[in-house]
Amino acid sequence: MTDATSPWSVLVLPGVLVLAAVCAATADAALGTGPGGTRRAGLPGREVLRLLVQQRRTTNASDHLLLRVGVTLLPVAAVLAGVVVPLGFTAVSDLPDGIVWFNAMEALAWAAVWLAGWGPNSALSMIGGYRFLAQGLAYEIPHMLAITTAALGAESLRVGAVVDAQGGLWFAVWMPVAFVIYLASALAMAFWGPFDQPVGSDAAGGAAAELSGVERVLFLGGRRLLLTVAAAAAVPLFLGGGHGPWLPGWAWTLVKTAAVLAVLMWARRRLPVLRMDRYMEVAWVVLTPLAVLQALVVALVVLGR
Amino acid sequence: MDLRKRILRAALARPAVLPAVCPGATEARVLLERELRSRGWPLAAGPATANLLVLVGRPDPARMDWCEGLWRAMPAPRARIVIVSPEQIARGLDAGAAALLRPAAGSPPLLRPGARPEDHLHGAAPHTSHEGHGAHGARHGAHETHEGHGGHEGHGDPEGHGGHGGHRDRTAHGGHEGHDMLMQVSGLPMADRADDRDGLRLDQLHLPLGPALLDWPAGLVLRLALQGDVVQRVHVEQIAARAGEGWPFWDEPWLRAAAGEEVPRGPAARRLCAAHLDSVGRLLAVAGWPAQAQQARAARDTALEGAPAKALVAAVSPLVRRVGRSRTLRWLTRGVGVLDARTAASAGVSGPALTAGGDVWDRLNVWLDEAARAAAMCEETALLRGSDLAGPRGALGGPLPPSQALLDVLPPLLVGAEFASARLTVASLDPDLDELAQAPVAVTVAHD
Repeated sequence: MTDATSPWSVLVLPGVLVLAAVCAATADAALGTGPGGTRRAGLPGREVLRLLVQQRRTTNASDHLLLRVGVTLLPVAAVLAGVVVPLGFTAVSDLPDGIVWFNAMEALAWAAVWLAGWGPNSALSMIGGYRFLAQGLAYEIPHMLAITTAALGAESLRVGAVVDAQGGLWFAVWMPVAFVIYLASALAMAFWGPFDQPVGSDAAGGAAAELSGVERVLFLGGRRLLLTVAAAAAVPLFLGGGHGPWLPGWAWTLVKTAAVLAVLMWARRRLPVLRMDRYMEVAWVVLTPLAVLQALVVALVVLGR
Repeated sequence: MDLRKRILRAALARPAVLPAVCPGATEARVLLERELRSRGWPLAAGPATANLLVLVGRPDPARMDWCEGLWRAMPAPRARIVIVSPEQIARGLDAGAAALLRPAAGSPPLLRPGARPEDHLHGAAPHTSHEGHGAHGARHGAHETHEGHGGHEGHGDPEGHGGHGGHRDRTAHGGHEGHDMLMQVSGLPMADRADDRDGLRLDQLHLPLGPALLDWPAGLVLRLALQGDVVQRVHVEQIAARAGEGWPFWDEPWLRAAAGEEVPRGPAARRLCAAHLDSVGRLLAVAGWPAQAQQARAARDTALEGAPAKALVAAVSPLVRRVGRSRTLRWLTRGVGVLDARTAASAGVSGPALTAGGDVWDRLNVWLDEAARAAAMCEETALLRGSDLAGPRGALGGPLPPSQALLDVLPPLLVGAEFASARLTVASLDPDLDELAQAPVAVTVAHD
């Protein structure tokens, strides 16, 4: 029963997302290490301001077009993916195949990071771009299987239908493997925390190594938005969406999203960066079969009811 | 105008600092890191995000080009300061922050359109030295490579490369000769190709690593030939620094004892503990575990501040517990940079790398164990014997400083490794180039 809203909500969505991302970043900074690792970067607002007063900087023979496309694409992809994520029971658009849309939009991040890494014509940033491609190969298949499992459980690709199907039992409860795989791949998709090797400090910032000023704000801000959207999407897909006692739907969405974000941030503190030369094996040999198995179990349950 | 100034002040209240550390300046570097942490100023991973360039130590004035490269690659507003001795740190940072707010810092010209993005990583190589001269600018541009595919080495200007790895390249693979006939992109030659490990012909990149990288041994420059992110060849260089007075910071107690001074065991253990924690902090930062790297550095500073043994043990033991028992880190570092005991011994390696006789994980654990043991001993008053020369990097007083042996074993360990593994390997050996900068001083063999 997710409603689609009037077209003007398209304009509100980026604002809401940015606000949520800023809140998350502020909480993160207040709790200790901020972005950039050991370096407490202060409150995010101040860091953004610091970058905004920086002058533009170009590198020799850089491909400006690709660089700008890559840098801009990241926040745009995050917002587009957010179109189908409902706040409470209201999404900007409850597309009939919203889950496919969500996955397609977040896959744009592949292009975005690769282009941003390639564009500046610098070896380290290209290494960062390559790393994200390897990461994509590792996380994307288990990720798609995980969200497919949620769609299977609801027998619909519409996000609203997935929420409706969880009026009783949350999907996270009876498809826990898919839920955990979704969380891990949400981190990987936003190349954040234990999956931030594409912008790792060992490669002097990787794909972001040569970005400064506005470009850096867009790129790293886009990454935050992507993380927020991925966390917010976990709520309708696995955590019952706006369903819950006492509080209105939108409040439940916010509370659950905040909880997911808190888990994701905790993961960064607990784990070192997972290198893809090691993680790839786990993703393909362990996670993919597990995700298939989970989908199979869910399919049998759906057939049997 | 006033509003503009206020915004600038707010924006630059915590400028991002890019440290450029010369060999021989370890003490100042450690204290700078502590000061930055207490001020909450972030460290910049590269010049693109930096506001304040901090040159630590005494570089060779004739070979300042690498610092100039860094400076040119920084966007405005920017400022730079030099710190030679620890007491200049606080004042220097304040002065740098003030300079950032002056109008000149916000005004043009930043990066010359022709400057290479990797200048900041360039080492002591003379081939960056002519960058500053306008007359050479155009010529230099013509020699630059599209380093998305290809490197500088070998294309660079011949006199600049004299005596460097560049020439070795040239003879090493024949494909180079036809180079001039290759396509050019914006006046830059396209990438060069060479056979890779799987027998494919792939683009080759030439990337100098260091000297100004975060969590990297001060003064070390590795010239890598990469295919994708796999290291094909390594050439080790170091940047020159003016020979400082005094001992290498981490080796000081043992060298003093060897020179006949009375040094109690306690302070030596404290220094060893701090040295290992410094190395652990670097390794964890390179391994992408900033939260624990932070812990290691905080513990290091506790050790150097002269905290009592109990407090120091309390600072070290959570680290040993968290890091030493981390299954994830173990899984990620097992089998990386394997240096077995026999190879190590034959190369003259002593100290933790020899004790570990294994991979990155083993070396990390030897550091942690030794740091924990040293922390407990940091109040002993018995004197260090002049013959006891086991410094943090290995036995001092031999013909070569221990870090030279660590540098010697690097190339075979790095060839064939992926970029991330190569960085882990370097960080897990953590050669201390201070020892080399002052090598002649260090060889005062003890008579006991």
